[in-house]
Amino acid sequence: MSKPSDLLQGTLDMLLLKILALEPLNGFAVSQRLKQVSGDVLQVSDGSLYPALHKLEQEGWIAAEWKPSESGRRAKYYSLTRLGQRQLEKEAENWGRLSSAISRVIKLKEA
Amino acid sequence: MRPEHWWFTIPLRLRSLFRRPQTDRELDEELCDHLEQATDAYAAKGMTREEARRQAQLDMGGIEQAKENCRDARGVNWLADFIQDLRHGLRLLRKSPGFAIIGVLTLALGIGANTAIFSVVYGVLLDPLPYPDSARLILLNETTPRVGVVSVSDPNFLDWRAQSTTFSQLAAVHAVSFNLSGISQPESISGEAVSPNFLSLLGVRPFLGRDFDASEEKSGAAPVVMLGYSLWQSHFGSDASAVGRTILFDGRSFTIIGVLPRNFRWVEKVQFLEPIGTWLATNPEAADRGARGDMVVLGRLAPATRLAAARSEMEGIAARLATQYPGDNDEFGVVLRPIREAFVGDMRTAILSLFGAVLCVLLIACANVANLLLVRGAGRTREIALRIAFGATRRRIVRQMLTESLVLAAVGGAFGIALAVVGSRAITRMLSPEMLMGATVTLNPTVLVFAVTLVLLAAFICGLAPAARSAKSDKHLQLKEGSAGTGTGASHNRLRGFFVIAELALSLVLLAGAGLMMKSLHHLLSVNPGFQPERLLTMEMDLRTAQYDKDPAIIHFWQNALDRVRAIPGVQSAAIGTNVPLTDSHGRGDITIEGMPLPKPGSYPHPDFHSISDGYVSTLGIPLLQGREFVETDNEKGAPVVIINDKLARQYFPNGDAVGKRLMLGQVDPAKPPQWRTIVGVLGDTKMYGLANPARLEVYLPFHQAASSDMEVLVRSRVEPSAMTAAIRSEIAAIDKDQPIFAIATMQELIRASVAGRRFTLILLGLFSGLALVLAAIGIYGVISYTVAQRTRDIGIRIALGASQAQVLRDVLGLGLRLTGLGLLVGLLGAFLATRVLSSLLFGVASTDMLTFIAVSGVLTVVALAACFIPARRAMRVDPMIALRYE
Repeated sequence: MSKPSDLLQGTLDMLLLKILALEPLNGFAVSQRLKQVSGDVLQVSDGSLYPALHKLEQEGWIAAEWKPSESGRRAKYYSLTRLGQRQLEKEAENWGRLSSAISRVIKLKEA
Repeated sequence: MRPEHWWFTIPLRLRSLFRRPQTDRELDEELCDHLEQATDAYAAKGMTREEARRQAQLDMGGIEQAKENCRDARGVNWLADFIQDLRHGLRLLRKSPGFAIIGVLTLALGIGANTAIFSVVYGVLLDPLPYPDSARLILLNETTPRVGVVSVSDPNFLDWRAQSTTFSQLAAVHAVSFNLSGISQPESISGEAVSPNFLSLLGVRPFLGRDFDASEEKSGAAPVVMLGYSLWQSHFGSDASAVGRTILFDGRSFTIIGVLPRNFRWVEKVQFLEPIGTWLATNPEAADRGARGDMVVLGRLAPATRLAAARSEMEGIAARLATQYPGDNDEFGVVLRPIREAFVGDMRTAILSLFGAVLCVLLIACANVANLLLVRGAGRTREIALRIAFGATRRRIVRQMLTESLVLAAVGGAFGIALAVVGSRAITRMLSPEMLMGATVTLNPTVLVFAVTLVLLAAFICGLAPAARSAKSDKHLQLKEGSAGTGTGASHNRLRGFFVIAELALSLVLLAGAGLMMKSLHHLLSVNPGFQPERLLTMEMDLRTAQYDKDPAIIHFWQNALDRVRAIPGVQSAAIGTNVPLTDSHGRGDITIEGMPLPKPGSYPHPDFHSISDGYVSTLGIPLLQGREFVETDNEKGAPVVIINDKLARQYFPNGDAVGKRLMLGQVDPAKPPQWRTIVGVLGDTKMYGLANPARLEVYLPFHQAASSDMEVLVRSRVEPSAMTAAIRSEIAAIDKDQPIFAIATMQELIRASVAGRRFTLILLGLFSGLALVLAAIGIYGVISYTVAQRTRDIGIRIALGASQAQVLRDVLGLGLRLTGLGLLVGLLGAFLATRVLSSLLFGVASTDMLTFIAVSGVLTVVALAACFIPARRAMRVDPMIALRYE
């Protein structure tokens, strides 16, 4: 496995929220999905994943529900809440501004 | 957005907090489930089951760590950590009982004393009065430059009421007393005759029955009365049917129309209220504008009116009345006071000073405990370094240390509150009912909240320094040291020294205050009262019933009483007189001196009037400066005579020729022939108004020529004066069995009572400064002790190299002296500034009295050095062999 890029905490929150915006998933599935859609570039370590998810739940941005999983046991599924939707929009906007600003600086031609 | 967001998450947070086992289980399940899925994923990629599982676990990192991080993310840890720290703190206390006892005791004393004093502060100064919107209630009096604050006259009150717009309501309040008869033991009761709107002005409803109505303001209203709650309890057994029954006041029948509520308070003792109409019927002289009995006016400020506006309006009205009625109102002004001032009175300075003092004691106590914790913290550096190495954050360490100090403060606070219960009761016993004026001093919820706040404050102050220090410790350095940690470091010692200097300084300030109060009280009690107070008994009687309507009957009673009392064996001499020294009531009036230029009506000499019997001067032991005192022939048939006091004589007869001159009572009236009285004697001044107050002008009349129904009997006895009481009672009862005798006290008791306020302040201030001194001594002992223990090795080396024991002693004492000296310096500075607060309580002593300051500095130095002596001796006795082997 290639070394994952360092993910800042705030960015991780935003990514997790976006993943869960698409459909409710359990923790393992979220990390797999993130890896998959980012083409293996963005990976979150298991040790950081769950604290992040729990924090998001504590803030009220995602809600948890225990549902029977495929294996017959029950699993904890997270989904985005309305508050989470708003938070996601806010963070996405911030990210957009940040990244375009960085791009502008990087693209500066040498004089 | 934020607030509603937070609200939405509350159920979740509560669940995390309170359903811990369940959420823990769920967390477990969640992570295990993840591991399963990860294992499956790896297995699907081709690993064996065991390899897949191991890889999955490696990916997770430590599962416990992950769980901990999740719990952290939930933010529930603080409660669990807090409980854990509390348990840890309690365990630490149990393990070192010596430290625990000292710490708990110190804080218990500090917090307990503060809580007790605060209960007084609250009860007397802060507790809201039982009237709605009491800040708008104002008391009004008249003033005259010759005397100061005096009563209001009824016609003036009526004019004030008619003309004032800044007051929405005004009511007259006359102090009255009655003899209660028709019961087994006749007694004198006091209350007020009031305008009918008095209670409604205050916002008080009667507990039973009805309020007065407007018709009861006019003279000649039927005699009705409203009973005070305790009078109703004691004399009518709290029987609701008392309303409508009658009660005998002065032999007259009064109908009871109601009962006052239990929590009713007024600036004087109120056992009943009667309407002013009833009172005017028996006091027709009140219609005279110049008759100022014992009346205060109560007013409620009109809405949106400021006191300053009311004050200027009333002063204007008073000035108008002065020009309108010069004979009665010339030079009479008006003074307005918010009602709270009348309740608090002179106690405010004393109580607030004591509160400041006791806060100083708490600070000293906290400094001592902080030092203790610092020392203990120094011994734990290794333990803390280990914890940091294992991953505890600094914030966690600080939280733990603060929690430990909170445990100490809480236990100390619990004991302190128990102390405060006892202390508060003891303090209230020291205060007379007049000083308290109906205030209730108990440990009510507000006081308890204050105590809890003190506990938190103490925990913070005591714990801050050690916590900050421990969090700063460098883990590498501490782990390397072989021993458990010595906690050296110059800054550590400097901090402890700083605490000790602060303690010594605060103690000095308190000692200075106590010393000044002691000197004041001593000076006050050495003031010559102007008479001989030893073995002197006084009691008061008020002749009220119809049989004493005319002067001859009154005179007959008093003469009879006097003769009978004089015949009692054990009585050295007896006399009667109005207005005994140091008691509160005084009759006053104008006099005209024959031949003096007639002044403006408001500037006539305005002395106190006393009716006295023969023998009054010799019984009281007042120096007779000129002439003679009254004799039996100065009676109704004799020539009108009068005696004056020295101050009056020097002011109006500067040539010293008062005896033989004449004066008359009242102002000269061209319509009436002047009734001159001849001055037959001049008496020395007496301290009528209190030992601290200057003498006033006094005029004495023989009671045969100026009968008064309200007089005091004075008895100088050969033996203990209170032994005479029973005999005197039976003699009086033989004349009139329904006549109550009250206000029985020896003159010594009256003198003591007159300085009770200052004595109260002295006792408590002395107690607190003693406490502060002991705590400061413990503090300096602790610091010097510790320093010696730290430097044992150095001392051993020095002794081995030839230093003498005396030199070692001198060095240790020198350290103590340096700390004491700095403490004295700061303390003296503080005392200079702080004792100014006490100046209104001091008497005959400046607030910066040098002698007192030097004396208390000496006391502090001696005590501090004595405290250093024990560790100093220990230093002297260090055996170099043992010291060098140490470690």
